[in-house]
Amino acid sequence: MTTTATSTDNGAAAPTRPGRRRAARRALPLLVPAALFLAAALAGPWLAPHTIDAPVTATYAAAGDGALLGGDQLGRDVWSRLLHGGGELIGCAFLIGAAVTATAALLGCLAVLRPRAGRILERAADVAILLPSVLGIMLVALAWPDGGRWAVITAAVVLGTPFAVRVVAAAAAPLAAAGYVEAALMRGESSLSITVRELLPNLRGTVTALFGLRFVEAVYIISTAAFLQIGPQPPEADWALMIRENAPGILLNPWAVLAPSAAVALLAITVNLATSALAPRTQAVTSA
Amino acid sequence: MSPRTPTRTEPGPDDGARHDTHADTADGAGCDAYDDVPHTVVADIAGLGVRLPGGTHLLHPAHATVHAGRITALTGASGSGKTTLLKALLGHLPPGATTDGTARVLGHDVLRLDRATLNRLRRTELAYVGQDPGSALNPRMSVRRIVAETARDRTRQGVEALLAECRLPLGDGLPDRRPGALSGGQQRRVALARALARNPRLLLLDEPTAGLDPALRDEIAHLLRHLADTRGLAVLMACHDPELVGACADDTIALATPGTPVQPPADPKPARIPTDGKPLGKRTAPRIGPIDVRPLVEPVAAVEPEHHGLAAHRITVTFGTGRGRRLALDGVDLTLPAGATVSIVGPSGSGKTTLLRVLAGLAVPDSGTLTLDGAPLRPAVRRRGRDRQRRIQLIPQNPLATLNPSRTVGAALARPLALHTRLTRGARTARVVELLELVGLPTAFTDRYPAELSGGQRQRVAIARALAVDPDYLLCDEITSALDPDTATAVMDLLRTVCAERGTALALVTHDHHLAADYTQTVHVLTDGRLTARGDTATLLTHTTRVVEKP
Repeated sequence: MTTTATSTDNGAAAPTRPGRRRAARRALPLLVPAALFLAAALAGPWLAPHTIDAPVTATYAAAGDGALLGGDQLGRDVWSRLLHGGGELIGCAFLIGAAVTATAALLGCLAVLRPRAGRILERAADVAILLPSVLGIMLVALAWPDGGRWAVITAAVVLGTPFAVRVVAAAAAPLAAAGYVEAALMRGESSLSITVRELLPNLRGTVTALFGLRFVEAVYIISTAAFLQIGPQPPEADWALMIRENAPGILLNPWAVLAPSAAVALLAITVNLATSALAPRTQAVTSA
Repeated sequence: MSPRTPTRTEPGPDDGARHDTHADTADGAGCDAYDDVPHTVVADIAGLGVRLPGGTHLLHPAHATVHAGRITALTGASGSGKTTLLKALLGHLPPGATTDGTARVLGHDVLRLDRATLNRLRRTELAYVGQDPGSALNPRMSVRRIVAETARDRTRQGVEALLAECRLPLGDGLPDRRPGALSGGQQRRVALARALARNPRLLLLDEPTAGLDPALRDEIAHLLRHLADTRGLAVLMACHDPELVGACADDTIALATPGTPVQPPADPKPARIPTDGKPLGKRTAPRIGPIDVRPLVEPVAAVEPEHHGLAAHRITVTFGTGRGRRLALDGVDLTLPAGATVSIVGPSGSGKTTLLRVLAGLAVPDSGTLTLDGAPLRPAVRRRGRDRQRRIQLIPQNPLATLNPSRTVGAALARPLALHTRLTRGARTARVVELLELVGLPTAFTDRYPAELSGGQRQRVAIARALAVDPDYLLCDEITSALDPDTATAVMDLLRTVCAERGTALALVTHDHHLAADYTQTVHVLTDGRLTARGDTATLLTHTTRVVEKP
């Protein structure tokens, strides 16, 4: 009763405070690569030795000789363009990831708390999931030719959300029957308040992991769109655009294609590692 | 007994020596090595203590021996480390915990065993049924598949024999239902059937009868006895319930919690249970005694909705659709007059909880009406309006889930105040402290998370949370079923005092007739979704033991 009692249910619910601190220490090594990479990509424009649109060397010049990674199809410095090209991609991907995750978290919890609305929401999501995202992006780009990056962002958010809603709804479903949610219903909390106060704090792991996945997915969608010349237009420095522009010269200066490809891959991997490290360990259900 | 033990000879006097190391043999090969001479040592705990890094003792050094064919009961107040000990025998410790002493299971030192051997041991020799087995059952699988998943004999007959062995009804389509469509007691027995399906040698049970009505509790006790006798199964159960301990345990191990002067009744408890199974003591004794509900002559008449109180009239609730459709409640009436205490009793699966949830507005009835002070009350809680939401509060059943694990006690208590009162932040903090004092908890608990509280403490916080908005009607769903008798009595006494002081009406759903008799004026008896009796507890619940035992 009034003893120092953690015993009947240790490991059942949220970790205690020392546990949280230990988890943070474990997560640190996985956070460092992402932090370094993001810092480098964001600070890139100030570190770049050349501008992005001035030819400094020969077309598809090999690496070395004043240009660290050689020249691109117009003789511009690949290294400088690489340093310039990350910021916007990361910014857009972050925006998409955050928007999709936030929308999905709210809609997913709402679907669970309001079963009738939830059924409609989930069926609608099922239909929307079937739409290939590239097709959707091209539709948006056609309908909104001046949209540029915003067209891509809009399309990616709209097309990414249904899948994420299903993920959140599936994770929230078992929590909706918990006593604390029923107690909240009984005192007349609104669905939004229950979502924010009662459900989401217990879905931290799912939501963080979901954000990591949606960020990577957004990088992938933006790159695909850029490759299809939707979104950023030349002469902008953009990793995906660079891959497309320099593909014909891959044999002359492979770095012009490999470097931006590696940058996209590294971005995806480091961010995903970081979010999975940040996500709390899956909460143990009561029995072993 | 069950058709799935043909590979196994019954233990007899001429059986061979023990096979202490056969847990190392590969899966399936160890079948015929099971016939142990009864009373061989299956698990041996020598001075096992478990400590958290902060120095908190989860389990004070304990000694215990568990024999094949015998039932060993683990007693002690909540917080004494019963669950920790059971989990330690599975080789499962809380993260970061350090141990003293040793725990040997079937010859293995489980706390220092390598992963592969430990997993094999858990898979083939050990079975664990937790405190809240319902949440451990996959909600998307039918009962039949849940049991067949771990069974050696996966045929239809094999699974049904197991279910029948655990006293589950087969006739009404239960094997094809999912856990969500079962009552708490049925879920518990399904979990037990699943654990037995593997044919383990050591069965670890955490509160096997919490939430079960007396008849079921007796059946579980007989079942355990039967399993121990016929299969030579070693059973170790953590148990609050002295009646169950008395009824079936061969050995009793009392876990002590040194340094807890707050709780004088914790220590003498084991001593109160002599070996002949006849417990002494006052409050604990009648918990399992036979209850005679006066036979019903005429059907219970419908009552006119009263003008003061919460009333339900002709409530019918069905679950499922199509062929799986069944009646959970069939035209039930219930009145909870202002300031009164009413209990709803009945066997597991009779619809007690559903009725309470209808009153609470969490389950919407198919037909029937609700009234509050004579005025119609919307069935869905969301549509009842702020003041009526405040007036009816619920204390949920499961102490594990009653509080949000991510929010501190202080936050849990301050939120209803922010929602229903106009107190400033400072005044709310002061009120939270008052509420904690009201339910007998230290004020330092405001910063604690639910994981740092025991089951009884959580129920106290849940009571404080419900009382924060000063409700007129308090609905309690089996709030003491997971607590040990002393804690349960303390929680119920608290509830009675507080409700009497404030004039709050109390509706109590319980499987425990004695709880109903001790704490409520009117009792409603439900059987299979029908109201079969209603009346004054003193006249309706006449239990033979009570008059004698109550001094």
